[in-house]
Amino acid sequence: MISIENLSKSYGSKIVLENINLNFLKGKVYGIVGENGAGKTTLFNCIAGLEKHEGIVKYEFGLLKNYLGYLQTEPFFFPKITGNEYIKLLCNARNISITDLGERNIFDLPLHEYAVKYSTGMKKKLALTALLLQENKVIILDEPFNGVDIQSNIIIIEIIQKLKEMGKSIIISSHIFSTLSDTCDEIMLLKSGKIIQSVLKDEFSILENEMKLFTIGNKIERLNLK
Amino acid sequence: MKDYFILRFRMFNRQLTEWGIEPIIGYVVGFCVFVFSSNKLFEKTQYADYIFMVISLGVIVSLNEIRKNEFLKLHFSRVECFKIRILENLIISSAFIIFLCYQEKYFNAVILLITVCFLSLMSFKTKANFTFPTPFYKYPFEFAVGFRTNYYIYIFAYFLTFMAISVHNFNLGIFSLIVVMLSCLNYYTTTEDKFYVWIFSKSPKDFIRYKLKIIILYATILCLPIIIGLSVFFYSEIEIILVFQFLGYLFILTAMLAKYSIFPDKLNIRYGIVFGLTLWLPPLLLFIIHYLYMQSLKKLKEIL
Repeated sequence: MISIENLSKSYGSKIVLENINLNFLKGKVYGIVGENGAGKTTLFNCIAGLEKHEGIVKYEFGLLKNYLGYLQTEPFFFPKITGNEYIKLLCNARNISITDLGERNIFDLPLHEYAVKYSTGMKKKLALTALLLQENKVIILDEPFNGVDIQSNIIIIEIIQKLKEMGKSIIISSHIFSTLSDTCDEIMLLKSGKIIQSVLKDEFSILENEMKLFTIGNKIERLNLK
Repeated sequence: MKDYFILRFRMFNRQLTEWGIEPIIGYVVGFCVFVFSSNKLFEKTQYADYIFMVISLGVIVSLNEIRKNEFLKLHFSRVECFKIRILENLIISSAFIIFLCYQEKYFNAVILLITVCFLSLMSFKTKANFTFPTPFYKYPFEFAVGFRTNYYIYIFAYFLTFMAISVHNFNLGIFSLIVVMLSCLNYYTTTEDKFYVWIFSKSPKDFIRYKLKIIILYATILCLPIIIGLSVFFYSEIEIILVFQFLGYLFILTAMLAKYSIFPDKLNIRYGIVFGLTLWLPPLLLFIIHYLYMQSLKKLKEIL
């Protein structure tokens, strides 16, 4: 189990995350939703240990980062590294030896080409393939469906289900509510750095409607489209 | 158009600041270095004007990268886009053109000017689609990326070794070894994204050991043709060859430790100065390596 206690983060005087308390269980999928700038990526970076923060992140097996696969919103790639080499690098980092990469390249990526030249969706699929091959116990997916084609979206949803069955903890953020309602056991709403609501599967539709009403409000009228 | 150039100017100043150089000092030092090195070039070789033109055109070609030009075409009118490109190319090449005139190479200056204007009409796909094979697949990324970027340096270095053996000039052979080592060292001067350190499930000590293992293995592979060639044809100098090879490893290790000692910040000019001092006085390395190692452990502990 991952336990987050009183996690706070600020940049100077700007508070980005405030007193976040969460528990993530094994074999469960958690969704985090919120507007752009709500603090989702910062929260993930803090959980991963990529950013300093106040509060504690506890994991039952020890240092979480050693068991964590993190798919970033925009994975960074070196200018002259092939897809093969990217996967090799990430697997080396976890002392995992990969021999049957061709067979496990389920997204049919051109692994011999430079990763930086891939499309947005292909980059995401490459990063996802690499972190899946790392055999992590916990997986954070920040916007995994962004820029990815519909066929791959279906595969990603199936992968998440499989990982859940394998007893892994999965945390996802997405702006596409349907993808979260298809995969998650619990969805949390992050607003201005605070978790303001947390709902279980049977209440997802209520949350979606509330979000729609709150988000849209009178904004379309304010736009005064002509 | 004016805004575009103001923005470019600001971007350049920010880049200098990021390197740890005050922009005004950067301009003064840059000007002095340019004048001094150009003078030296013209003193040393009779082909200086051609080398000068090639350098100038190389800079211009790198400025005319296809994606940047597509951006300009998308956001500016055709006339304005052309004006921006020609003005940008002229600003960059003006220093070279003026220096050629100062050296009374008027013909070359005119040719350079015409070529620069002509290049403003063209776009270059500087990033080819071909994937360059490397022997460094097993442990990415520094050597795989570096080799693909600087492969021509190795062709040049191996050619120098061949020449050193042909004309029986040992110093030239050692120079080729230094060229390869400096090129390897350069791979460790660019700071990678924090994610690429974070992914390792290793302690800081193990991480540094892992990186050192890669340095020794891959730098040896790159130097091997030179070492074998020099050892066979200058057998009596084998100790000197080994000393240079060992010093090479130490310098690359220092660069790697310097990078991680301030990670994730980028290396700045102060480190460049310290590095310059060690090149001048190599025994300093012993103290610097220890200091940088301790600092690296401290910095890496925050991430690993």
